[in-house]
Amino acid sequence: MVSVKFDRVAKILGQSRAVDGLSLEIKPGELFFLLGPSGCGKTTALRLAAGFYVPDEGKIFFNGRDQSGIAPHKRNTGMVFQNYVLWPHMDVWNNVAYGLKMRRVSEEEKKKRIGLALKTVQMEAYAERLPNQLSGGQQQRVALARALVIEPDVILLDEPLSNLDAKLRIEMRAQIKEIHQKIARTMIYVTHDQAEALSMADRIAVMRQGHIVQVGTPRQLYTRPESAFVAEFIGRTNLLPGRIEECADLLTVRTQVGLIGASNGVNGMAKGDLVFCSVRPESVRLLVSEEPPPKLTNQLTGEVQNIMYLGDSEQYSVRLADGTLVRAVEYNPAPRRAEVGDCVVVQVDARDVMVLPREEPGD
Amino acid sequence: MTSWLKRYDLSPANAGFLLLLWCFFIAFMLYPLTYVFSNAFFTDKGFSLIFFKLMLSSPDYTVILANSINVGLVVTLLTTLLSVPLVFLFVRYEFAGKGLLNGLILIPLVLPPFVGAIGMRQLLARFGSINLLLLYLGVTDQPIDWLGAGFAGVVLLETLHLYPVMYLNLAAALANVDPNLEEAGRNLGASGFKLFRTVTFPLMLPGYFAGAIIVFIWAFTELGTPLILGYRELIAVQIFNMVTDLHQNPMGYALVVAVIVLTLLFFYVSKRLIGNKGYEMMGRGHLASAARPASAFLTVVIYAVVMAISAVSLIPHLGVFFTSIASRWFLSVLPGEYTFKFYREVFSHDITLLSIKNSLFFSALSTMIDVVLGVTTAYFLTRKRVPGRDVLDAFAMLPLALPGLVMAFGYVAAFSATPLDARINPVPLLVVAYAVRRLPYMVRAVCAGFQQTSVALEEAAMNLGASPMKTLFQITFPLVFANLVAGAVLCFSFAMLEVSDSLILALKQQDYPITKAIYALLGRIADGPYIASAMGMLGLVLLAVSLFVASRFFGRRMGELFRA
Repeated sequence: MVSVKFDRVAKILGQSRAVDGLSLEIKPGELFFLLGPSGCGKTTALRLAAGFYVPDEGKIFFNGRDQSGIAPHKRNTGMVFQNYVLWPHMDVWNNVAYGLKMRRVSEEEKKKRIGLALKTVQMEAYAERLPNQLSGGQQQRVALARALVIEPDVILLDEPLSNLDAKLRIEMRAQIKEIHQKIARTMIYVTHDQAEALSMADRIAVMRQGHIVQVGTPRQLYTRPESAFVAEFIGRTNLLPGRIEECADLLTVRTQVGLIGASNGVNGMAKGDLVFCSVRPESVRLLVSEEPPPKLTNQLTGEVQNIMYLGDSEQYSVRLADGTLVRAVEYNPAPRRAEVGDCVVVQVDARDVMVLPREEPGD
Repeated sequence: MTSWLKRYDLSPANAGFLLLLWCFFIAFMLYPLTYVFSNAFFTDKGFSLIFFKLMLSSPDYTVILANSINVGLVVTLLTTLLSVPLVFLFVRYEFAGKGLLNGLILIPLVLPPFVGAIGMRQLLARFGSINLLLLYLGVTDQPIDWLGAGFAGVVLLETLHLYPVMYLNLAAALANVDPNLEEAGRNLGASGFKLFRTVTFPLMLPGYFAGAIIVFIWAFTELGTPLILGYRELIAVQIFNMVTDLHQNPMGYALVVAVIVLTLLFFYVSKRLIGNKGYEMMGRGHLASAARPASAFLTVVIYAVVMAISAVSLIPHLGVFFTSIASRWFLSVLPGEYTFKFYREVFSHDITLLSIKNSLFFSALSTMIDVVLGVTTAYFLTRKRVPGRDVLDAFAMLPLALPGLVMAFGYVAAFSATPLDARINPVPLLVVAYAVRRLPYMVRAVCAGFQQTSVALEEAAMNLGASPMKTLFQITFPLVFANLVAGAVLCFSFAMLEVSDSLILALKQQDYPITKAIYALLGRIADGPYIASAMGMLGLVLLAVSLFVASRFFGRRMGELFRA
């Protein structure tokens, strides 16, 4: 298994620094995600690893070996492209066989490995088909097999599921994760779909404007985002702007709707800092006014603006006194407890409030 | 140097090919043109406009210039009038046998007017078949002077030859007009000709001018047809005559410069009229609404129109055909007796046999050059960001705008008294001239292939361990193979029937290619025209077969090659 290290890598494409001072260490055998909005440089980073781009600054190491000057065809990476990119003039078998031919693998060995790779992606029955006779999902599997069969040091996946329909996408998530566990190889997976990243990744690097904003496990990123950008990009959140009033065990933040107490904050914050209080919709509790309000922290009153029923959940938008909209989600919703126009109290536990710096680091 | 290579992501082999390309373009395009220009503007005493003053003040030359421009304009106008109705019928209506009729429309493109002119002479001469027929039927009692000085004959042949070019361009342009835009016009109250004038035609303009440029330049500088019809008052013929005594009379340079300037002017004017940007069409609505079934009556009309036009454009070539199988054809509507002996003579006569060998050899060689240059140029244009890319592109496309006549003249002049002197050995320059003439078709064909082939397909191969060379041969070439073959077939067949380069550059009988041999044979009294016709027929068959093969590979995008 191979580790991958980006050491202060920069790549200029056209006028912009597509990747800018990127440093990363990916552990051997990890399923590592590069996640970010379009144009954040994640695909550029992947292509740098494959060797299709030469870094303008910095170096990339595989297992400590510097990859500068090593051509793409000598890197032993297996890439799965966004549009599958199967060669239309070769059938499935020959597409998959291609990398083995380049490696002069014996005929017998080749047969065995192609058979195994096609079996892994459940495409044994289609070996003689041409790519244009396959559906999108089938092409995707063949592309995966083509990358797997050469037993690459690193598997690079560039938004491999983005062209599939929603249902198939979710099925393929599980399959790719299963394959990863089976073959135990380092994988770098690029996507803009945060649900894909959360559900599959060992670790995720969130990227923005060519550099990394935060690296962590899915759980860390969701529960302990370090910036408003990450909090908003991964999952949904309510951001209430304010200023730190008191810095004790509990952080107290003065917002336009009153004081909010929080037990979580990014390190190094001090009294007077401009901050956001980030509250996930699912931790916002909705208390209907007739019920006697229990003595709980962080109670805010507002008016129900909008209700959306989604079956497994129900989303409420509540307009607070100062006009701020707060979203609350109730899972497995009981019969509707409030109607549009009702006056309600929303409440959040202090442990569910994250205090995040108002200025983005690096901006 | 290495940092330069790295910046543009070039391997040393890339750089070598790039250098080769530049050398070729500079030696065989930039240098001859510069040479012609400098000789036109500089005399022993330095810069001078004396030749141009002479040209514009002498009525001889102004008449000749005007004649050539008129041929160009009239042919452009006539091809427009002929193609617009055809295009509308074909793009907007569905009817049985549409594909067949479409093919019929394109046939004249494969019939070089140079060969047609031979038949034309036979049919339309003072005592040619048509006059004899009219006299016999008593329609007239005096033979009619159809060809006049030759202007009408040239215009007629060129129109019949070139209307398919206009048709292809207009058809592509019309097919590209979103029917929803017309529906919007109709919705707001426009219909019929008003809708066409205000919405449809303005949207077709870029395509129209693309076709018009090619038709104009082609007709404006056509050499073979007027030579065979004996119409000498055209600038192309004058330039041809001046090649032999360039040293005594530098007027030829000035005439060539005049041709270039007029060509560029026409290019400039049409680009200005287009406003240099094509219209971006919005997303297509329901495309099915574009063509509707034609009524039975309309179908009959369409068949009648297409058949009539095709019949007329085939007449000259029927003349050639009859000439080639007539044992004697003089003062009669049709030949009295038929024979195939002239076809046998083509393969036994020393001029003809040698010329066929020569043409095959020259064309094969020039096609190979085109394949190498075309693939290389297309590769740099589509796959790399090399410095001077736009200039490279311009050079590769320049032969479309530069008449063959100009290039051939430039070669003779610029390379005289060098190892490439055409008077000593014309073969290298002939081969190069053929290659340069058809390079744009090759570049276009291969560029189209590269553009349709995603770079990611190549990256996937490299990612799996294929070296750049292996990727090129195992992935890229197989995927653009159809385009490559189609381009090569076109290059080869056009080179076989290339007129102006052959007439100007091949000076000795031993080096004559087919076209020059036909021209030389026509001058011989006895059996010359018959053998020439037989050879012309063989040429026609060759070109027709080649274009058929090429269109198989190209599919529906054949028309793209005939656009500026």
